[in-house]
Amino acid sequence: MTRLRTENLTLGYDERTVVSNLDVEVPDGRITAIVGANACGKSTLLRGMARLLAPRGGAVYLDGKALAELRTLDVAKVLGLLPQTPVAPDGITVADLVARGRYPHQGWFRRWTEHDHEAVARALEATGSAELINRPIRELSGGQRQRVWVAMALAQDTDLLLLDEPTTYLDINHQVELLRLLRRLNAESGKTIVIVLHDLNLAGRFCDHLIAMADGSIVAEGAPTDVVTAELVEKVFGLSCLVVPDPVSGTPMIVPA
Amino acid sequence: MTTTTTTTTTDTAVTPLDVAAALRGNRRRRVARSVVVTCGLAVAVAALFVLTMMVGSFRIGASEVIASVLHLSDNPSVDFVVRGLRLPTAASALAVGLALGASGTIFQQLLRNPLASPDFVGITSGAGLAAVAGIVLLQATGLAISGLALGGAIVAALLMYLLAWRDGVSGYRFILIGIGVAVFFDGLIGYVLTRAQLSEARQATHWLTGSIGQASTSELRLLIGALLVLLPLAILLQRPLRALELGDDTARTLGTPAELSRAALLGTAIALVALAVSVAGPIVFVALVAGPIANRLLGPATGGILPAALVGAALLLVADLVAVHLLPTPLPTGVVTGAVGAPYLLWLLITTNRQGAGG
Repeated sequence: MTRLRTENLTLGYDERTVVSNLDVEVPDGRITAIVGANACGKSTLLRGMARLLAPRGGAVYLDGKALAELRTLDVAKVLGLLPQTPVAPDGITVADLVARGRYPHQGWFRRWTEHDHEAVARALEATGSAELINRPIRELSGGQRQRVWVAMALAQDTDLLLLDEPTTYLDINHQVELLRLLRRLNAESGKTIVIVLHDLNLAGRFCDHLIAMADGSIVAEGAPTDVVTAELVEKVFGLSCLVVPDPVSGTPMIVPA
Repeated sequence: MTTTTTTTTTDTAVTPLDVAAALRGNRRRRVARSVVVTCGLAVAVAALFVLTMMVGSFRIGASEVIASVLHLSDNPSVDFVVRGLRLPTAASALAVGLALGASGTIFQQLLRNPLASPDFVGITSGAGLAAVAGIVLLQATGLAISGLALGGAIVAALLMYLLAWRDGVSGYRFILIGIGVAVFFDGLIGYVLTRAQLSEARQATHWLTGSIGQASTSELRLLIGALLVLLPLAILLQRPLRALELGDDTARTLGTPAELSRAALLGTAIALVALAVSVAGPIVFVALVAGPIANRLLGPATGGILPAALVGAALLLVADLVAVHLLPTPLPTGVVTGAVGAPYLLWLLITTNRQGAGG
């Protein structure tokens, strides 16, 4: 079963086609990582799946219906996305920002219910940012800020959550902390998560499913242990390396040769 | 997400219930503050509105003013002064202030920059060029000047939208192009003025200073009618504006049609400022300061459009009181708002640069 899939999806900007004829099936209730070298089209694919980019050809299907034909607000109740560089209004506090994740669940007149408060509280709690609620975003550290953005995406309370390079600008400790958080969310709520990642070792360690991309097409797809080989890394990143089992988890780990 | 989280990352055990209670308290305080501030501003604006009609060479009591405006009394001499002379100016200050305040805060939030007031991004200059060209080249008067100013503002706005468009409109490019367009129009205004006869140049310069006293009844009716439609529309558009503030990607992810919402917001803001300028001329700085003052009163990142509109009205009513009654010689309103606004602009430029938030 897959709720989110693409068929012959072609995406691009202006004159340039970035990815073409992609067929992707996102496994439900799992964490999928899209990996690849810089400019291979992985963020573009994610943006296409979140309907931030209209398809040039083919389509994205959500629950069997073409994404382009669904109402924006209905999509927003099912599918959330954390963009690569989100912007916060000047002076906004953590509580206010996370609360804006409730936007799709509120109408023009129905404004703020007990259910909304609970969803925001759960999101803050899950990301360990409950103590920060009255702090302005500007004053937070990079790691705290990224957790708050994840909390906003969680407050949206969607079954599917897409994250575009959420670990960029984070140190290794915060990268791992964030991925552990996503694992926990996935385990506790069965949320389907798709994440664009640079680090193949972290992807192998924390994700169930890998989609490896090069030059706008998919090179390999499947469980990390099946997919990550020295040949694949050579092909995707142009790096010759050894693949050894991670001493902690046994997942594939890359060591540059 | 029905399971309660068992892991907390801190030593103090905070349960989701506590957090929800804290959030509820937060929100209640914010709503209360916003209601108090909005009502307080509305009362202040109403008081100033009455006050401007009380003072002058012929002093009238508050109750008499109110009775006369509401047609509750019948005193020909009071009615003549209040309804005939002072009400149009007071109503004009009120309407122009509301329009400028609402328009300014929409621009600033949409373009995410406190400097992005319609005064600076070419719309006011477009109106000024059209009006001055009308006065000097076509010997236009009265309503014709307003019509030209309105047209000029709209053409300037469309021009900027076209120039700034590249797969959507980004805030930064819109502001830079707006400033360029403003400088270009100001240059043309200067050129047109050098070609003018002395009396026309005088009239044009007077228009360019901006004065709420210059509004005619028909212009005022148009502005008030438009406000009755545009102000509620702006307040409704507050919801998508809150999403757009987070950037286009996040706004779309949250279910807002970003381009459509932005076009509606920009259209409303442009219509408001264009009408205000066409009625009163370019009254500077009100649109720039109203939003930030409202935010100071409401708390950061609240961005209430109605409170900002009320602040705009209060500012303009005060500026009018100062311009006409407190100074030894009556001055155009634009001179007063300019004199107060310029130091604020300097302060804003210095502090935004220091915070690195100038973009």
